[in-house]
Parts: sequence; structure tokens; C-alpha cells
Amino acid sequence: MSLETAWLALLGFLLCGYFALGGYDYGVQMLQPIVGRDGSGRKAMLGALGPFFLGNEVWLVAFAGVLFGAFPFLEGTLLGGMQSLVVAILIGIVVGNAAVQLRSRSGDAGRKVWDGLVVFGGLVPALAWGLFVGVLLNGVPMGADHRWAFGLSELANPFVLLSGVTGAVLFAAHGATFLALRTHGDLAERAAGIGRSLLLAAIAAFAVTFVVGTFTVNLTNAVAAVVFSVLVALALVVARFSLAQQRPGRAFGATSVAAALPVLLLGFGQYPYVLVSSENPELSMTVSEGAADTATLGLLTGFGVVLIPVIIAYQAWSWWTFRGRVDQQSPSYF
Amino acid sequence: METLDIARWQFAATTSIHWLFVILTMGLVPLVAVMHTRAALAKDADKKAALERMTRFWGQLYLINYALGIVTGLVMEFQFGLGWSGLSKFAGNVFGAPLALETLIAFFAESTFLGMWIFGWGRLRSSVHVALIWLVALTAYLSAYWILVANAFMQHPVGYEVRDGVAYLTDFAALMTNSNAMLALLHIAGAALVTGGLFIAGISAYHYARRTEEREVFGRSLRLGVVVAAVASFPAYMVGALQYPMLGKTQPMKLAALEPGPGAPALAEQMAAQHGPGNYLPPQWMVHAQYVMLYAGYVVFIVSILAFLVLYRRALVRFLPLGLLVVAIAAYPVGEFVGGIIYYGTAGPNRLTIYIATAVVLAVLLWFGDRVARARWLGYVLAALIPLPFIAALAGWLFREGGRQPWVVYGELTAEEAIGPVSTGAAMLSFVSFTAVFAALAVTNWIMIARYARRGPAGTQLGTEELTVLTPREEPRPTF
Ligand code: HDD
Ligand code: HEM
Ligand code: HEM
Repeated sequence: MSLETAWLALLGFLLCGYFALGGYDYGVQMLQPIVGRDGSGRKAMLGALGPFFLGNEVWLVAFAGVLFGAFPFLEGTLLGGMQSLVVAILIGIVVGNAAVQLRSRSGDAGRKVWDGLVVFGGLVPALAWGLFVGVLLNGVPMGADHRWAFGLSELANPFVLLSGVTGAVLFAAHGATFLALRTHGDLAERAAGIGRSLLLAAIAAFAVTFVVGTFTVNLTNAVAAVVFSVLVALALVVARFSLAQQRPGRAFGATSVAAALPVLLLGFGQYPYVLVSSENPELSMTVSEGAADTATLGLLTGFGVVLIPVIIAYQAWSWWTFRGRVDQQSPSYF
Repeated sequence: METLDIARWQFAATTSIHWLFVILTMGLVPLVAVMHTRAALAKDADKKAALERMTRFWGQLYLINYALGIVTGLVMEFQFGLGWSGLSKFAGNVFGAPLALETLIAFFAESTFLGMWIFGWGRLRSSVHVALIWLVALTAYLSAYWILVANAFMQHPVGYEVRDGVAYLTDFAALMTNSNAMLALLHIAGAALVTGGLFIAGISAYHYARRTEEREVFGRSLRLGVVVAAVASFPAYMVGALQYPMLGKTQPMKLAALEPGPGAPALAEQMAAQHGPGNYLPPQWMVHAQYVMLYAGYVVFIVSILAFLVLYRRALVRFLPLGLLVVAIAAYPVGEFVGGIIYYGTAGPNRLTIYIATAVVLAVLLWFGDRVARARWLGYVLAALIPLPFIAALAGWLFREGGRQPWVVYGELTAEEAIGPVSTGAAMLSFVSFTAVFAALAVTNWIMIARYARRGPAGTQLGTEELTVLTPREEPRPTF
């Protein structure tokens, strides 16, 4: 494997981690008014995120950092082109993140506003990430100078819109299985019930998106794309049955896989390109065109080999330390 | 407005807001770590309880502040790609590496460990818990280091070569030890500690003046804050002064533009001959920014040192040799200050007045120290001065960044070349949304900080018993 491919794999790993971990944050945030009926329920839900919340979001930060460090030429083209979508994602995260952390610091009146922002900050990123993946799968209208801009014409595409919806439903279902696993009593039961419906909805949405996608997407490796799609569907089905059998741990594992797999679908589906041009396939950007110089990558590799295992180790330590359930009687700092 | 102007405004506005939160993080977190350590080590139960209340109170203020540091930082991470793709196209091979390393080395650890610290009260062994906050402090400074390595490359590019219009990394060690980054880091670390120290001292003095109940907590806090602010003002001052000779070598234009006269236009002509026609003069506001930083900085330093003398007057008088030593050291920045005037040959407006006033106040303090210490209004004055270091620090950055214009990478890439292909409409939309959201959140956040600061330790939520996530009782383990 070349250095460039290795860094592409790491980039994909970070995005997978972010979708699987940040994904349930957004799901929990979206479900806050439905599952957490009263003030203490809502607080318990955020308490469930509690110790992991900051550590989840940082996977996105790392993704952006590695994107810039290892794929500087992809970075400008991708983020510049996706500008309005990325701005929406960021505004959503900024507002939602602040709301989760500050909600309990305000008085009763302010808390209502913060609660609204908590939901906004879950819904917007979930929807927008779905759109983001959809646009990339379709290919972007990139010309010879690598310039393009995401606009209404990309958005007004049934596949892209369906991807957005699927993303939101998938993350919501993922959040529900997390709550079923990590909370207690009523709250956990409500979450599991809603989770079952959401998983059905996610399976349906994903299936429709897949069918529509077969007409529109622009991929080099159709086989890989189909394999990963089937795996997503399978994971969702497993999650649905596990919830019904009251095995929330396995359900959460399955929705985590389902949340992360679209990254692999995209990565393998487009390989060796990192950005496919829908205008003219010859203009697509390959991995090495997007990547930094070998000297830079070699240097980063030295750090990466040491750092990545260490990061995984201390994150795992934090999950282990705070394993177990929380309930309404155990409010938290958030 | 052109896309370029909008993108610049966006970068300046969002980064400035990020910086106002970051500097307090950097100033508070080491002090919270010190408090927590002392609480963990204390043997006496009352003392331990007081120190723990103190840790949680300041820890809570730090966390409220941190919330905005994080969310604004997240946007910073994306901004290069959003607005400045020309920068990544030219310098991505060099400039991206420190940013990537910052996230992998610093941010990952900082976020994970801070989450554990917040929810670790009553749950983790106290040695582990204390170690976590020290790790958070360490990683905060590591992140500052890496971001400054990136920024210093733009101020003073080193360790690279340009082939076919693209920069390649040739010497990573040179990049990592860029003199510009090292000096900025030391200067910023000093400034941050002054900011954090004064923040703690000001709020404590306010509670003292209002005679609130927690005298032990605020007495200890006041002393800690004042000592840190006074001590840190020396490196902040001295490293700041050291940056001028460095600028003479690395960014002569920034230095020249500070003085009216033929120096700057001559340099601009030289640059035009070298790099093609264009406007190479930095904007005039950066000169004002420099003075705001200098004057706000001087006032802050002098106040910190005076507060130190008042607070510790008894000890200083009792151990006269120590007292004399401290006074001699305290006189040093003043001496430097005069030295600076002689060295640079310009007195600048009011510098001498400030110096004389300082000497007078110092003498008065030595005579009437006890009476001064009893004056309640002094507590309010100290609290009112809390914003001053923030103003100085922001102005310092504006000076640093404004003074290198029109260059994004000094001598290599101008802002015009660095701007990405974003349309004016899209740029405007993102500028307005980010700035509006950031400003609203920032103001709300400061109001919250003020409210919690006024409530005192009794209102703290962090780590209080009934607010902690309970340890799993006998409920079933999650089944996998
Ligand atoms: C790692 C890089 C980096 C860092 C740490 C900072 N900046 Fe910066 N800044 C840039 C990288 C940059 C930039 C992307 O390179 C800009 C955009 C246009 C330009 O010339 O430089 C810039 C422009 C820029 C401008 C506009 C200057 C002009 O257009 O005349 C201001 C006022 C600031 N910044 C302010 C700040 C503040 C207050 C910072 C404190 C944290 C700061 N910057 C940190
Ligand atoms: C344009 C430049 C900058 C970028 C891209 C950037 C990026 C970020 C990001 C992504 C975070 C959140 C990390 C997390 O999730 O834990 C953050 C926080 C932080 N940044 Fe920045 N930052 C910039 C400027 C600065 C500067 C100039 C400093 C200090 C000298 C600084 C110091 C910090 C620190 C200490 C934190 C920890 C959180 C906090 O302080 O509230 N950053 N930054
Ligand atoms: C509380 C007081 C002060 C604060 C908070 C402060 C803060 C800052 C900050 C944040 C910067 C930008 C980052 C950097 O280059 O380090 C800066 C730049 C600078 N400061 Fe200060 N400063 C203070 C006082 C001083 C003093 C007293 C001096 C000089 C005697 C000074 C000299 C400088 C110089 C020369 C720069 C520009 C460096 C460059 O452009 O590369 N500062 N200051």
C-alpha cells in the first residue's frame, strides 16, 4: 500500500469514527424532546452523552486536520466547493455543541431556547452530512481548473435529497439505540420503542435511496458499492432484531457499523479517485493528486504510527471508565 | 465588497472571537490544575474542603469559557479550506502538517481527558483525576504551540523550498523551531497567565470587597491570582520586547510601517521591484493596534505588580532583604521601559508620565500599604480591570496579522493569491452567519461567566454530589 493510500485509509477511519460517535450525539440531540419528556429526562439524556461528548466531536476536528495535512489539494477543492453545505454543518454543530454544554447553566426561560438549539444542532448536521455524502456519490460538477460550487442544482436531485433524509433517520436511530443501552427504566424503554420504528424507517429510506442511486451515482467500483450497501442494510436489520430481543448492546454495535459504513462505500466506490467529476470523468481528482508531497506524508507517518494507537487506547479507557447506565436520578454536569 | 475583503473580515472576526476564549483557557487551566493538586494533597479536612470548593468554582468558570473555545475552534479548523484554498494549494505540503499534528497530538487528548475530568468527580481516584487536569493543561499549550508553528510559517517561512509555484517541506526541524513561533509562544503564554491571574484576582477581590462569605476560598484565590499575574508579566513583557529585533530581521516592513517617514515607502518600492507592482504597505490600523496592546499591557503589568506589593506587604516588610529584592525586581520592567525609550529613541506619548506615576504610587504603597489594602473600592477596580488583558491580547494579534499584509505567507503568497474560488454571495452568507452566531454565543457566554462568578462557590454545579452521573449500581451490565 502506498503512503497516499495509507493516509486515505486513516482519513476514512477518522470519518468513520466521527460518524459512529458524533452520529449518536446528533441522534440523541434530535430525540431529546420525544424521548426526554420532561426536564429531568432531557437532562438525563445529555448526561448519557456526558463524558463522551467532547471526545466524539474531536474526531471531526481530527478529520479536518488530517485532511489539510495529508490531502491539502483535496481540502481546498472539496470544502471550497461544498461551501454552503459545510457552513450549514458547522453552524449546526457550533450551536448544538454550545447548547449541550450550556443548557444547564441557564435559568428556566433560557433553557427552553437551549433545548430548541440542542435539537437544531442535531438535525442540521445529520441532514447535511447525508446530503454531503449523496453529492459526492453523484459526482461533483468539477471542471478542468478543479473549481466548482455546490448549488441548488446539486441539491435538487432526488438521490441527494434522499441521502439527506436517510442520514437524518439513520443517526436518529443510532441515537435511540445508544439511549436504550446507556439509560435506564422508562427512558430506555421509550428509546428502544422509538428506535425500533426509526430502524424500520431507516431500512426503508436506505432501500429507496439505493434504488434511486443505481440510476444516478457515479462510481468506479460498483461491486464495492453494492457490497457495502448490502452490509449497511444488514446492520440495520440486525439492529432492529437486537432491539426487539432487548439486546441494546448488540443493537448499538450494529447501528454504529451502519453509521460508519457509508464512508467505506464512498471511499471504495470511488477509488482511485477522491473526487469524481460528473462533467467529465477524466477531470476527476485521484488520490495522489489530492495528497501532500511524499516528504510531508513520510513525516506525518512517523507521528501517526505512534499517535493513532495511543489515541485509540485513551479513548477506549474513557469508554471503559464511564461504562454503565445513567438514569433520571443521576443528573449530570450537562 | 470583494470576496477577498469578505473572506478577510470573516477570518479576522471568527479568529478574534476564538482567541478571546482561548487565552482565558490557557490562563485558567494551569491554575485550576494547581488548585486541584493542592486540594488532593491537603491533609487537614477543612483546608481540603475549601481547596476543593475553590477548584470546582474556578473549574466551572473555565468550563463555561471552554465551551466557546471549542466550538469556535472547530470552525477555525475548516476555514482554510472554506475561504483560502489558494493557501492550501501553495503551502499545503508545509502548512498542513502542524495543523494535522495539532489535532492528533493535542485536541484529541484535550477533549477526551477534559470529558473525563468533568464527569470524574467522586468517581475516579484522586491521583488519576488530578493527572487528567494536568494533561488537559499540557495539551492546551501543545495545541497553542502547533498552531503557532503554522502561523509562524506564514509570518516567517522557513524549512521549505518552492518548485513550480508549490512549496515543499525540506526541513521539519527548522519549521518546528521557527524563532517566530518560539517567541510568540512564550509571549502568549505569559500574556495568557497574566490574563488568567487577573481574572481570578479580579473576581476574588470583588467578592472580598462585597464581604461575601467564602473568605477562605477567595483569600486563597486572590493571592494565587495576583502572584501568577505579577510573575508572568515579566516574561510577557521581556519576550514582547525581544520580538522587535526579530521583526527587524524577518519582517522589516512591519517594523518600518510603525514609524512615519520614508522607511516604509522605500521598502515598498523594493518589494515592488522584487515581486511585481502592488501595494505592499500594511494597513495603518495595525499601528494603533500596537499602541493599544502596549498601553493596555503596561497598565496590566503595573497593576499586577502593585497588587502583589500590597497583598504581600507584611511579609515583604518582615523579611526586609526579600522585600528589597522584590522591589528591585519589580523596578526592572520600569527600567526596561526607560531603556526601551533610550534604545528606540522615541518616548511615545505619555510613557514618561506612566513611569513617574508608577514610581509615586510605589512609594505611597510602601508607606500606606495597610490602609490601601483595606479600601473596598480597590476590589472593584481590580474586577473592572479584568477585560484589559483581553483587549491587549486581541490588539497584539491584530498588530501581528495586520502588519504582515498584504502577505499571507511573507514574501511568497499574497492574500489575493490565497483566496479561493468562492463566489461573493456564498462568502457573504458564511461571513454573516458565522459572525452573527459567534457574536451572539460569545455575549451569552460572557454573561453566564459573570453570573456564575457573582454567585460564588455556592452556585457551582461542577462535581457537586447530586449532579454527578452515578456509578452503575446493581443494574444489569449492558449486554453485547
Ligand atoms: C494559522 C494561521 C493563523 C492564526 C493562528 C491566526 N491567523 Fe489571522 N489570518 C490568517 C491565519 C492565521 C490567514 C488565513 O492567513 C489570514 C487571512 C488573510 C490573510 O492575509 O491572513 C489572516 C488574517 C487575519 C486578519 C486580517 C488582516 C487583514 O486583512 O488586514 C486579522 C485581523 C486576523 N487574521 C486576526 C487574527 C487574530 C486575532 C488571531 C488570533 C488568534 C489570528 N488572526 C490567528
Ligand atoms: C487559525 C488558527 C486556529 C485554528 C485552526 C484553531 C483550531 C482549533 C480547534 C479545532 C479547537 C477545538 C479543539 C477541540 O475540539 O478540542 C481549538 C481550541 C483551542 N485552540 Fe485554537 N485554533 C486556532 C487559533 C488558535 C490560537 C492562535 C491559539 C493560541 C495561541 C489556539 C489555542 C487553542 C486552545 C488552547 C484550544 C483549546 C480549547 C479552548 O481553549 O477553549 N488556537 N482551536
Ligand atoms: C498584557 C500585555 C500584552 C499582551 C496580552 C500581549 C499580547 C500579544 C499577542 C497575543 C500578540 C500576537 C502573538 C505574538 O506575536 O506573540 C502580540 C504580539 C506582539 N507583542 Fe504583545 N502583548 C502584551 C504586551 C506587550 C509588550 C509590553 C510588548 C513590548 C514591549 C509587546 C510586544 C509585542 C510585539 C512586538 C508583537 C508582534 C510580534 C509579531 O508581529 O511577530 N507586547 N502581543
